[in-house]
Amino acid sequence: MTSISERPTDVVSAGLHDLVKPDEGVVSRTVFVDEAIYRTELDRVFTRTWLFIGHESQLREPGDYLTNFMGEDPVIATRGADGGIRVMLNSCAHRGMAVCTTDAGTSKFFRCPYHGWTYSNNGDLIGVPRADTVYNGELDKSRLGLKAVPRVETYKGFVFANWDENAIPLVDYLGADQLWYLDLAFEAPLGGLEVIGPTMKFRIKGNWKLAAENFAGDDYHVLYTHGSAFQIGFLPDYDMLADYIANFDHGHGMGDISKPGRAYQNDVGMAQFLGPEAIEYVTAVHERLQARVSPLQAEMHGLGEGNIFPNLSWIKFGVFHVFGLFQWHPKGPGEMEVWQTSFFDSAAPQSVKDFARTQMSQENAAAGIFGQDDGENFEQITESARGFVSQTRDFNYAMGLGHEGEVHEEGYPGRLGPHFSEQNHRNFYRYWLELMTTQGEQK
Amino acid sequence: MTSSLTDLRRDVEDFLYREAKMLDEQRYDEWLGLFTEDVRYWMPITETREVRQPRDHVPGEWALMEEDSRFLAKRMERLAGGLAHAEQPRSRTRRFISNVLVTPGPDDDLMAECNFIVFQSRRANSEQFFVGSRRDRIVTSGENWKIAERTVLLDHRVLPRAISIFF
Repeated sequence: MTSISERPTDVVSAGLHDLVKPDEGVVSRTVFVDEAIYRTELDRVFTRTWLFIGHESQLREPGDYLTNFMGEDPVIATRGADGGIRVMLNSCAHRGMAVCTTDAGTSKFFRCPYHGWTYSNNGDLIGVPRADTVYNGELDKSRLGLKAVPRVETYKGFVFANWDENAIPLVDYLGADQLWYLDLAFEAPLGGLEVIGPTMKFRIKGNWKLAAENFAGDDYHVLYTHGSAFQIGFLPDYDMLADYIANFDHGHGMGDISKPGRAYQNDVGMAQFLGPEAIEYVTAVHERLQARVSPLQAEMHGLGEGNIFPNLSWIKFGVFHVFGLFQWHPKGPGEMEVWQTSFFDSAAPQSVKDFARTQMSQENAAAGIFGQDDGENFEQITESARGFVSQTRDFNYAMGLGHEGEVHEEGYPGRLGPHFSEQNHRNFYRYWLELMTTQGEQK
Repeated sequence: MTSSLTDLRRDVEDFLYREAKMLDEQRYDEWLGLFTEDVRYWMPITETREVRQPRDHVPGEWALMEEDSRFLAKRMERLAGGLAHAEQPRSRTRRFISNVLVTPGPDDDLMAECNFIVFQSRRANSEQFFVGSRRDRIVTSGENWKIAERTVLLDHRVLPRAISIFF
């Protein structure tokens, strides 16, 4: 199979091996600012990988819809009368106007504001004003539906879509090794995960990859970028929190992985501070995990943060932390739009819900103390990459080079590394380079 | 409107202008002193909804800011610590407060609504406006007026930038 666009992009891709050398720990600044490389990303990265669309709890009833982006392409996701979830391009087949301009809602159809062409919520063109006269009855409506995204699959309630009709299944793309960890977030909630409020949206004038690689396992930056959080006692000593990072096939990476038992101990300590309801809650969640996942996963208990390639990052520390998703939507090489959605256990006690929700706003969010400082970095890095001389100075991703594979924790899947290493960045750019320099099916 | 309510509005305007000036001049300790110990500071997320969808924000939904006086103080402590990179150096800000409306609240409290425009200039070329409205409950019974509740509604669906300043 080929990517959506058959345009030749070899002019761009031919030079990329000189610009991106993951095995040497080197990436040129050009790939963060160049317009042609960016256009190639929209094609070769964003039309061939599984992209997050929403959560089933946001599309509970037939007729429910939400809007999102796949790369720079606006899409609508709907639950149809048959109960199926579809994802389609939010763009009228006539002149390209958006047919849906709200965040989410319920509707059986979408009507284009321009000329009134009307589509059912499964994307079929069902109404064209005066079609019999102005088109002499010759318009073939069956060929003019909203463009459907050919592949839509879910994993434990999370809906993903892929423009590549021959893509490997979502579950294989995410991979068993990565899911071994992520399942802790999905299996722990007593009542299941639910969205806890609107999607938070803000702009960062930085290249989207800087945010993605950061969440993929740049634990090193936490020490200084987020130094203020330690200073004011918002976080304990960072070495108390986690031990490893890990990466997986298809560019995925994860940070702040802890040794067995550590996360549970941290949660128990937190529960004693929060009170009796919290103590009961952490015990109930831990018992549930013991019943639903392997003994080692249950002992691991908590996660950290990570990036699902290309641009979906997540964060989930212990049971008192929301499961937070970040989409780094590309808006040109020099800007991204962050869409942040948070989830929590629907059956948690109210006091625990209140703690988790407010803590996330204060931490990794638009006005959170972590979110602000990260954005500042991404902006100024992108700005610096525009200079002519600056572009002759590659970014350095050499930490841990030559020492990969030296870390081992019995039973932990994926390619484990020490808490502070840039192996996950290199893994991210290795897969990015593979996609950018090939057409056709992913391996 | 009675003359006493007009006087009251002038007093509230004066209070809000002084508050804006404190923030523009980064006198954060003084600003913290304007809030009661049990203040509830809430900035919900704005959505783009259908015409017939209700616009009320639900208490308990995830918000841009949902703070008590303890965490507001932590934010000030953070700014003072020299590692708050998003405000090192400090942004230049200019606050414009208008359309002040005052109504009597519970006990001797006042409910004050206003509109605001906040201009933020960071470093050399990062400039943005934040626009919205605020609704405060002001406690007038003590020696100094204090804000006991503040709801900030930004009109932006997509914020121009992460928020490192106060509203």
